[in-house]
Amino acid sequence: MLKLKPSIDDLTKSAIRSILKNKSRTFLTSLGIIIGVSSVILLVSIGNGLKAYVSDQFESLGSNLLFVMPGTIAENGPRGSSSLVKFTEKDVSNLKKINNAVVLPMVETRGKVKYLKNEEKTTILFTTYDYGKNMNSLPSSSNGRWFTQSEENQKAKVAIIGPELKTKLFGDASFLNKKINYSGTNFKVIGVLDSKGRGIGGQSSDNAIYIPISVGFVIVNNHDVQSIVIKADNKEDTEIIKKEAKEIMSKNYKKEDSFTVADQATILSSINTILNTLTIALSGIAAISLIVGGIGIMNIMLVTVNERTREIGLRKAIGAYPRAILLQFLIEAIILSCLGGGIGIILGSLGAIGIDKIFPAKVTLNSVILAFGVSTAVGIIFGVAPARKASKLSPIDALRYE
Amino acid sequence: MNMIKSSSKKAKTPLLELRNVVKTYTLGGTKFNALDGVCCKIFDGEFVAITGASGSGKSTLMHIIGLLDLPTSGEVILEGKNIANLSENQLAQIRNVTLGFVFQQFNLLSKTPAIENVILPLLYSDIPTSKHYQMGLEMLKKVELSDKIQNTPGQLSGGQQQRVAIARALVNNPKIILADEPTGNLDSKSGKEIMDLFHYLNEKEGRTIVFVTHDLNLAKQAQRIIIIKDGKIVGEEKC
Repeated sequence: MLKLKPSIDDLTKSAIRSILKNKSRTFLTSLGIIIGVSSVILLVSIGNGLKAYVSDQFESLGSNLLFVMPGTIAENGPRGSSSLVKFTEKDVSNLKKINNAVVLPMVETRGKVKYLKNEEKTTILFTTYDYGKNMNSLPSSSNGRWFTQSEENQKAKVAIIGPELKTKLFGDASFLNKKINYSGTNFKVIGVLDSKGRGIGGQSSDNAIYIPISVGFVIVNNHDVQSIVIKADNKEDTEIIKKEAKEIMSKNYKKEDSFTVADQATILSSINTILNTLTIALSGIAAISLIVGGIGIMNIMLVTVNERTREIGLRKAIGAYPRAILLQFLIEAIILSCLGGGIGIILGSLGAIGIDKIFPAKVTLNSVILAFGVSTAVGIIFGVAPARKASKLSPIDALRYE
Repeated sequence: MNMIKSSSKKAKTPLLELRNVVKTYTLGGTKFNALDGVCCKIFDGEFVAITGASGSGKSTLMHIIGLLDLPTSGEVILEGKNIANLSENQLAQIRNVTLGFVFQQFNLLSKTPAIENVILPLLYSDIPTSKHYQMGLEMLKKVELSDKIQNTPGQLSGGQQQRVAIARALVNNPKIILADEPTGNLDSKSGKEIMDLFHYLNEKEGRTIVFVTHDLNLAKQAQRIIIIKDGKIVGEEKC
């Protein structure tokens, strides 16, 4: 095998020189890769940001929660899917037999709430006295209180509302003991939650309205319980309680996949699976633009080879062997593509940092390495064909080329 | 490389010899012989002109001599070695080390300074990069363009461009300089300068020069003229 002449170093220098001779073309050619790489970086960053955000939220809830849900986790996305089983009050009272834990049943629905002429569409949660005890945003003293156990037992028509909903309905006016109307029934407002509060499942409570579950059953005229959260008194007991809950539930629901008792890790990992799939799918779409960018590079390299046919002929006549020509054009294609990749990484990262201010996004080293690797690969893959064409030109034909 | 540069230099051995070379092209389904049994010898230090009407095969002959093309049949012997069995890479190497090319169209790289055009062949040689610039400088001095080192072809006259091309052909210190209509694109004054330069290189430096021209008057400047017609050598030398 012959020694490699010229060296990769010299070839790279001359490739950069020839790329710089045509600056606007270079930029336009790289644009496809720039767009592709920056969107891949951006989307992967958003995916990572979401994952970090979700696991953050979960960790802040504490790790002693168990979620009893109808169906499997995978089926649990679209709410109220008719094929799923519906839990009942009886399940709740059965689960309450577990020691060292609180059972927190909940029904979530959407509906209109009215105060005088103000009407708001919002989330209504039917829940229990215990549920309120476990929330982090209970009304502070001047803003009223949560409902009591006896109010729950007596089916008292009382409501606690989120701070945003309060502003929408009452503005700055006083709200305590005012009557709001939901589904034809008047409820007395007995408290407003602190802002930035969350329900036990992690959902925001700022815009929600909470009423005793006993009243809720009367209003919707059925006794279905949508979801049940079990909170262990001690984190260490979570595993045992999970087992007990499963046993209790399986007495009533024989089919193994008709319900799930999941701890936070399970739910988090299934959410992460979904987010990963989403990220990959979105990046895949962005990757299509990388392919388009690659075709752009191939196209311009073919044009370049045509334009420089005489140069190629000359180089061959004065002693360039085919591989030297091949490498020369291949390196040019790779540089074009890496240039696009580099600019794309910078733009994508800046974009992600910008987006992070309004939506969680997180640039990771992995995505940068991946994007750069892919753009180099694109340069090689789409650069080979034009470079081979160049290396195969006969010096005579090339020199005759007008 | 070493096998090409044979050390024995017998007086009778030609630098280059063509034996019964035939080159057949197929054009529109019909075959024709661009070269039809050409024999010729070129000796070290000669100044040879190849001339003939257009279509006579002189360019094809030039390409065969320059190892840019291989004969359909017949042998090409360079420095005593048959080149028939050499690979494309080995041929490229011989072109790089043993031959220097000058073209009618100059074929300089556009937007590229003269010095870089001159050292282009060195990129494909074993000569270390550190020496390239100095070697290029010397060649430009030889063709009296040491004040135009950084000028690009667009900033040079035709005659100057051809002198850069000659410097490029010389930079590798080749055995043979092959020129294809070197004055064809030049006015008569620049053409004369180029021919004078060839004479200088032949007489003072003992370089072997082979040039192709359709102009018989120009050909007469050479020591020997090979006249080619319909792919056959009709003048000067026969086998």
